Amino acid sequence: MDTRVVKKKLGLKDRYTAMTRGLHWDTTYQPMDKVFPYDAFEGIKIHDWDKWEDPFRLTMDAYWKYQGEKDRKLYAVIDAFAQNNGQLGISDARYVNALKLFIQGVTPLEYYAHRGYAHVGRQFTGAGARVASQLQAIDELRHYQTETHAISHYNKYFNGMHNTSHWNENIWYLSVPKSFFEDAYSGGPFEFLTAISFSFEYLLTNLLFVPFMSGAAHNGDISTVTFGFSAQSDESRHMTLGIECIKFMLEQDPDNVPIVQRWMDKWFWRGYRLLTLVAMMQDYMLPKRVMSWKEAWEMYAESNGGALFKDLARYGIREPKGWKDACAGKDHISHQAWATFYQYGHAAAFHTWLPEQSEMNWLSEKYPDTFDRYYKGRFDHWAEVQKTDGRWFNQTLPMLCQVCQVPMMFTVPGDPTQIDFHETTYHGMKHHFCSVHCKGIFDDEPKKYVQAWMPVHQIYQGSCYPDDINPASPGDSPVREVLRYYGVNPGEDNGDFSTSPDRSNFAKWRGDKRKPGAAT
Amino acid sequence: MNAALVTDVMLRSLGPYPLHLADSEDRFYGNRLIYTSWENHLMYAAPFCLPLPPTLPFGALVRVVLPEIYGEHPEFEQIDWERTQWFNSQVRFRPDFGKSLEHHGLTHKSLIRFRTPALEGIKRSTAPGRQAF
Repeated sequence: MDTRVVKKKLGLKDRYTAMTRGLHWDTTYQPMDKVFPYDAFEGIKIHDWDKWEDPFRLTMDAYWKYQGEKDRKLYAVIDAFAQNNGQLGISDARYVNALKLFIQGVTPLEYYAHRGYAHVGRQFTGAGARVASQLQAIDELRHYQTETHAISHYNKYFNGMHNTSHWNENIWYLSVPKSFFEDAYSGGPFEFLTAISFSFEYLLTNLLFVPFMSGAAHNGDISTVTFGFSAQSDESRHMTLGIECIKFMLEQDPDNVPIVQRWMDKWFWRGYRLLTLVAMMQDYMLPKRVMSWKEAWEMYAESNGGALFKDLARYGIREPKGWKDACAGKDHISHQAWATFYQYGHAAAFHTWLPEQSEMNWLSEKYPDTFDRYYKGRFDHWAEVQKTDGRWFNQTLPMLCQVCQVPMMFTVPGDPTQIDFHETTYHGMKHHFCSVHCKGIFDDEPKKYVQAWMPVHQIYQGSCYPDDINPASPGDSPVREVLRYYGVNPGEDNGDFSTSPDRSNFAKWRGDKRKPGAAT
Repeated sequence: MNAALVTDVMLRSLGPYPLHLADSEDRFYGNRLIYTSWENHLMYAAPFCLPLPPTLPFGALVRVVLPEIYGEHPEFEQIDWERTQWFNSQVRFRPDFGKSLEHHGLTHKSLIRFRTPALEGIKRSTAPGRQAF
């Protein structure tokens, strides 16, 4: 009889080790610190990379199999949605504007994240951190693709989704997410993980994904919901990477603590400012509301964040500097943002509208301390103007914060009637900020932020006109020329929802005889 | 201002990091950026950013530019320019309508805030249900 050859099969743990750390070697032709220069220059001291606990035990072969199955399910749903004309089942065509904001502002961030993780996945000396980052880089690229595919169906029927990459690089409000990510991935690898893996994915991601995905579910958008489920399991891995990276840095050397704290202060605030767009979407753009921004903030930030910072206190970490101001802002930022987009709705690439009476009532109920007192008057006034003089748009470009690039619409903490102004002079030039926290970020690294591509300033410099326009004298309507450069069709891609082709088409397709703008 | 306090000590990089002031005054075709804020009037969601010639007389700013950009506000007509308080950021100044922006020390990227005290009381004085915005 032949001797049976025992095929030696590695156990899960050994296989994992072989497929991750086992692939690492120390270089000898060149010194290690020359091959891996990036993970030292930020000042983070790492003494023993073996102490890095791999946050998830996933190897590349398992990854392909697992993600392949998920993608097959996702694309089956996307196909079914398309074949059944799923776009007709959504609550109201206004909902699609939330998707426009997503494909314009969030989806490109997935691609930025892909590039960022691919970069740090090369640069860490420790193999565990490298592999985790590489896997996340692939996740992010998949998310970019699956979001694009899920939403592309809507692009066949609705305006405002046809030129999103160009818009992301040029349009004023999209510079908010864009500059956020460029700031992150032009830092070193440890700052990048603190910014994206920790502050964004661990601390704030629920505030991004839950509103969009449960918003999709409430408004009949099964295609986007399925994407959300597909991404969810990846997100939980990403969150684990974020907290592991933080703990690893804090445990490696006490000198790392102040650096990590400064990054947390910075990236919590930058993430919070970015989420202003989500707050607005949640309170104003979903025809069927899920919960208010304020409720979401209390549930996902205040309770989770409070526990987290209690946990990190043993390392000498305190809650981020802007924490209390962010918590106070929950009563205000969504209203301030929608008021801004309403008046600049002719210069955006989605539609805006005034809340209907039932929606105004909902806002009053959800924001009993602030909505009626500070914000309702503006909307009432615009409603009157719209009846008598027609839809009002603000024709003058706004002042932007040099760091977050949001128009200077935020008010003084404790006084919602006053714009919050802060400024610094650097190399003889003034720079303005929306908050003491954005100013603090600038003051730490002014040379980084003075190169910011500020959309309003760039328009005045002539960077956003078509070739046939003389930037020194752009004619009677600079905004019109800028929109032409953006590739945004006035009135089709933007303007008031009530007069949009999106509204009339949707009503026609559904045989809807209700008055313009009426929600289901 | 506090220029002396601002340094780049926190900025770390692998190589040289040249200074690039993306919004230096020479890039605006002879204009300079001036920001304007009508205090307490938040119908205009954010202050404005305007490219203006440094030689523009202050009076032209008030009589030509401001009506164009704030004129749609229901209170604009009622502004008493004699009683209006002007600030260069935090610092109060009294404008000479015949003299230029430059003359008033309004350098590139200066912020002009103006307060219209006669209209400050509207929050309390108008009918219930109305509010300042």
